[in-house]
Amino acid sequence: MRWLATAALTLISALPVTMSLAQADTFKFTAIPDEDESRLVERFDKVADYLEEKLGVDVEYVPVKSYSAAVSAFRNDQIQMAWFGGLTGVQARQMVPGSVAIAQGVEDAAFRSYFIARRDLKLAGDAAEPLDALPDSVEGHSFTFGAKTSTSGRLMPEYYLREQFQQAPDALFSRVGFSGDHSRTIALVAAGTYDVGAVNFAVWEAAVKDGKVDPSKVQVLWQTPAYPDYQWTIRGDADSHFGTDFTAHVTQALLDMKDPDLLESFPRSGFIPASNDDYAPIKTVGEQLGLLR
Amino acid sequence: MSADPSTMTAELRHPPRWWQARSDGARLLHLGGGLVIAMLVLVPFADLSVTSRDPWQELGRMLTGLASPAPGALESPLHALILTIAFALWGTLLGALIGLPLALVYSRSRLLRGICAGLRAVHELFWALLLLQVFGLSAATALAAITIPYAATFAKVYAEILEQLPQAPLKALPWASSRAMRFVYAELPMAWRRMASYTRYRFECGLRASVLLGFVGLPTLGFYLESAFREGRYAEAGALLWIFYLLIATLPWWGHRRVLPVLAIASLWWLGPWPDISPTLLWRFISHDIWPAPLVNASFESLTSGELATGLLQWASHLPDLLPAIGNTLLLGLLGTAGSLLIAMLLWPLASRHVGNRLSQHSTNGLLIFLRTTPELILAFILLLLLGPSLLPAWLALALHNGAIIAFLCARHANQIQLPPSRPQGKFECWLYELNPRVAPGMFALLLYRAETIIRETAILGMLGVVTLGFHIDSSFEYLMFDQAFALLVLTAILNIGVDSLARRLRPSGEISEDSCVR
Repeated sequence: MRWLATAALTLISALPVTMSLAQADTFKFTAIPDEDESRLVERFDKVADYLEEKLGVDVEYVPVKSYSAAVSAFRNDQIQMAWFGGLTGVQARQMVPGSVAIAQGVEDAAFRSYFIARRDLKLAGDAAEPLDALPDSVEGHSFTFGAKTSTSGRLMPEYYLREQFQQAPDALFSRVGFSGDHSRTIALVAAGTYDVGAVNFAVWEAAVKDGKVDPSKVQVLWQTPAYPDYQWTIRGDADSHFGTDFTAHVTQALLDMKDPDLLESFPRSGFIPASNDDYAPIKTVGEQLGLLR
Repeated sequence: MSADPSTMTAELRHPPRWWQARSDGARLLHLGGGLVIAMLVLVPFADLSVTSRDPWQELGRMLTGLASPAPGALESPLHALILTIAFALWGTLLGALIGLPLALVYSRSRLLRGICAGLRAVHELFWALLLLQVFGLSAATALAAITIPYAATFAKVYAEILEQLPQAPLKALPWASSRAMRFVYAELPMAWRRMASYTRYRFECGLRASVLLGFVGLPTLGFYLESAFREGRYAEAGALLWIFYLLIATLPWWGHRRVLPVLAIASLWWLGPWPDISPTLLWRFISHDIWPAPLVNASFESLTSGELATGLLQWASHLPDLLPAIGNTLLLGLLGTAGSLLIAMLLWPLASRHVGNRLSQHSTNGLLIFLRTTPELILAFILLLLLGPSLLPAWLALALHNGAIIAFLCARHANQIQLPPSRPQGKFECWLYELNPRVAPGMFALLLYRAETIIRETAILGMLGVVTLGFHIDSSFEYLMFDQAFALLVLTAILNIGVDSLARRLRPSGEISEDSCVR
């Protein structure tokens, strides 16, 4: 009992010290967890170093685990900027009025999702290349999305499924799962656990390149039309916190990022300007599907 | 028992029907048999299809990863390890500190019991998701997510321990002694060992919870484990799992009562990061975010005009379809409980010194560490690959995980039993006549206690395409609809309280075993 009391007293006396340490004015950002998270901290620390050098303030990368954790941290001002997905960005800007989308990846202006399936199911008949539309043969098979609020793994695939088949995914497929992540969708479809899956095209192509999936066994059935996806979003009060024109400086620093080593973390070939309005279609679809309100 | 003349006459006057138990043993047999029969009856209604085509490649990669772990590839395993221990240690400690005074008034306050049951009913992961909205990814979230449900558990278990104490020393105290005085001078000296033993066991649970908290983003071992596993970097995942297995396996040594205080104080330096708690944020969350919008905007006029009622109805109509989710949750809970019983009965004898031989003891103990330490989510994913998406992998994962925890505690209990010299010679007879009667009551008490936990755990298996209440809670958090998440959490808590009170009614009555406090 004595040590219990000692320990409790130590804790109480240590609290204010540790708390006050966290007060320093550091510009913090995060990136939604999406695919390859190996050495995530190491890779994004380099991005933080780059921004620190360009902006002249302390910059820190905060790792997060889930899409919603990224949005919550942004809302609570625990981070001031984030690399969001299409839908998470809309969620975040809705929750923090005044926040703005400032830049997107070159690839994000026209992003796509792939519907994938094992070749031995012959869902696409004998076709080796992606079809012009999802074949009706997918009906009655099992299907997995990625994360629940992923734009490329859930939102847009569901939108196009509903558009083509005029029914909810639960009605169309024998079973609908949420793998939680694009890499896992690929693994589950390759293992035959789910028959069909929807996946971010960039992750698919990286997996094929790295030999993580055998394209002779798993095929792309159909690729969706293009839609806008990932973007950098910054809080509206950043300028008042970090100095006038801070947002403009950050935007410029992002657009100037040319080092392939840094860009590989995203992975994008470069950044281009973006605005909130670019994501109006995502917002509309999110509201239609009841994922936003 | 029926040798007692009074019971004999009572039995003669009202002979028990064939289904009524004549003794405690028969009651347990009925309970166990009833559970298994209920399981067999319900299985045809459960969605248990096996659909898997080619799991071997992925499973092979997993096994290779576990067999050839790559600790070098880990980013900061030491820091994650220290934080895992620090969160568990301080979470348990604070839980015990808060639970102890509550235990003193626990049996007198129905309100307190209800609140505690509600707090216990919410899974640590959901506490974390809830607290994350206010405290962010910080030590405060991790500590509170462990402390809150643990304080409620400690209040209940400590109170049960105190109730079972002999009353004589209490009566010897001066007439007007206060509650605190009675506790310090009479109860604590008698209850200390059992309370400390339970607290230590709870610390192991805390370690598992602490790892699990990494799954929602707190920087424990689970953070790296989840990413490595999810992305198929199995050598890294293997290394992390091995670290965790070793941590649990060596707990009896480093978890010594003289070492723990040193660890607790030392780990303070690493405990962090601490959040800047903004009062406005906290207030907005408590007063606004978690309540249905019509309720927040309600005024007196809206109440009288019926506007509030229609608003709430409209809000409720946007909730997901709850009946199938409740059905699946209860079904999975019952199947999981019955499955745990079978697994525990099968495994504990092999791990005990009286029945098993040296080889079976060591191998079963290893298996038990593997099963109870591997997070259910990872067990479930392996089974998902093997069996395809359905209720089956979730069921097996719950049964294996919880069965292993019960088997471990039963084997520990069996090992403490000193068999009389007149014991039967054969191992089977020894198990049947000497061990089983002594271990079974404790096993059932544990099982019924775990039933509550199993229901909570069904919540985190939504990945398998099984729609449980937890699946909808997780979705609500993802869609940032905190009001919906909160309403569903309350519903889950009510469900859990119901299951808990049913389990308490079925639990063997009276003093179960000397080890009954070790749950």
